[in-house]
Amino acid sequence: MKPEKINLPNTIDGWKLEGAPRLIDKTNIFDYMNGAGELYLSYHFDHLSVYEYKNKSGNDIVVELYNMKDSQDAFGLLSLDWGGEPVRLDQPEEEKHREAVIPQDRAFYGKGLLRVWSDNLYVRIMAFKDVPGVREAILRLGKIITAGRSHPPPPEMLLAVKHPTDFPWTLRKDRTAYFRSYLVLNSLFYLSHENILNLDLFTEAVIVTYEKEQESREKQSARLLVIKYPDYGKAVTALDSFFKAYLPDQNSKLVPDKDRESQDFFHIEDGWTGFRLSGRGLALVFECPDKKSAQEIIQQALLNTL
Amino acid sequence: MKNKKITVTRRDFIRGSVGATLGFTILGPEWLKGVAGKSSRSSVVIVRDKNAMDTALNVDRNVLENMLEQTLTHVTGKSNRDEAWHELVSPQDIIGLVPTPLMNPTHDELIDAVKASLISAGIPAENIRNAQGRSVDLTALISLPGLKAHWLTGIGTVIKNYILYSGAPRNYHHQNSTKLGEIWNLPQVKGKTKLILVDALHPVCDKGPQVDPRYRWAYNGLIAGTDPVAVDAVCLKIIRAKREELRGEPWPLSPPPICVEAADKVYKLGNSDLNNIDIETIGWAEDLLV
Repeated sequence: MKPEKINLPNTIDGWKLEGAPRLIDKTNIFDYMNGAGELYLSYHFDHLSVYEYKNKSGNDIVVELYNMKDSQDAFGLLSLDWGGEPVRLDQPEEEKHREAVIPQDRAFYGKGLLRVWSDNLYVRIMAFKDVPGVREAILRLGKIITAGRSHPPPPEMLLAVKHPTDFPWTLRKDRTAYFRSYLVLNSLFYLSHENILNLDLFTEAVIVTYEKEQESREKQSARLLVIKYPDYGKAVTALDSFFKAYLPDQNSKLVPDKDRESQDFFHIEDGWTGFRLSGRGLALVFECPDKKSAQEIIQQALLNTL
Repeated sequence: MKNKKITVTRRDFIRGSVGATLGFTILGPEWLKGVAGKSSRSSVVIVRDKNAMDTALNVDRNVLENMLEQTLTHVTGKSNRDEAWHELVSPQDIIGLVPTPLMNPTHDELIDAVKASLISAGIPAENIRNAQGRSVDLTALISLPGLKAHWLTGIGTVIKNYILYSGAPRNYHHQNSTKLGEIWNLPQVKGKTKLILVDALHPVCDKGPQVDPRYRWAYNGLIAGTDPVAVDAVCLKIIRAKREELRGEPWPLSPPPICVEAADKVYKLGNSDLNNIDIETIGWAEDLLV
């Protein structure tokens, strides 16, 4: 394990770099951040380098460079929170994702914290106190770190959700997330404390949130979860596990057939839920107000592309 | 029947049957025998001072000392700090202070204030130890968690604060986060907690897993009581209210903080139902969130 080839400056705007970076891998990540380590291990984590800048007032700036094994995992970490002020560091001016389901930005700043997706790096730069001068120093560090790095596109998996302009539901781009773990799923949309969908490092998942305005009623929201399993057999096993844990009181007479798409819908406590299985792709919808909405939303998943 | 696998899911929360499902899942059908009966009330005290921190978030030690004294007297019903401490602990006790070490750690100023206050009340300094996760021969514990949401357990404040006493904290990160309450029944902890004093000066209302300053705010408060579940329930109420205020739309804690309800209904550690909790508020009342 070696620190990445990024030359951070020894001083920046009155802050001074202290010593060599602290290197953290799977063996000591819990010593560094306790249970937070579960998040990074739920993606393909390689190592973390931590740099500290100190200034005279004791307002330290900590630079954390999470080296993920590939770009899509670094993207996944950023996708868990699209909030904050979008900032441009080394992002191409005219970049337009093919994916219509996420914001265009790759870096966000808020109250002393900068979060960045840059190729296989997920970057967090945080000052303890958000005082004048902090934002400028942090953004300069962000630009130095990302300078000259490549800009791979977001995960292909995002293309498995279409969003036509005439769709009657509004897609909340700032709620779209990419992940591989049920722990992350539960932090976004709780299903169960157990891994009832058999998610792991060999699966990929995207969750999107739809909303619809309703006259004189609270806004209606619904979720679409799309999962890519390594193969059809694992997708069927996961669907069976989901059924037993989540819908034990529902009967579905469908017998999964590798050569045919199957789907079914059920009315439960929080509205209509349903599944669609095709090849190694599984789509699930939750909290739909009626069966028609559930059917419409689940059709937004392009399972044949997985 | 014992072999039937039951999984707690989102549907249990919507049905309001999570307590029953949890009890059955964790303890099996035997749980049903012990369900009925508990009706006692619990008290939680919230003391706030607008000047506990300045705009740069520096803690004013004098203001904090004052807040601590008010907290102690209101929790115990005694007229001064020394009497209050003697109601909770004795000079013969070996007292462990249990702060939160990571992600919104307990302010050092609060740990220092508690220690100084105990010594002033006649507790020998050598009997007071920083005891996070140490299985030493303590006779009394004072839990000093920081107020925060948590990405694996929904809330990571009171019930979760003893996780290091389990000796295997990672075991409680996954499915077993519902079982955090069982740690309070381990021999090194059981019955020893004399006071829960939550550092709510600068809480975190989102799950993390690491601190994001956008979700921190200056609440400038201490939240205290002797019922750990009741104190956690009040902390939850504050965190939930702040989340909705920040986003201006429903923003439920995810995953839901099952460990609090389990601590009540399965492990019988206290009251999780706000209807059974008396909340006394003292001091700065703006944006109280309860």
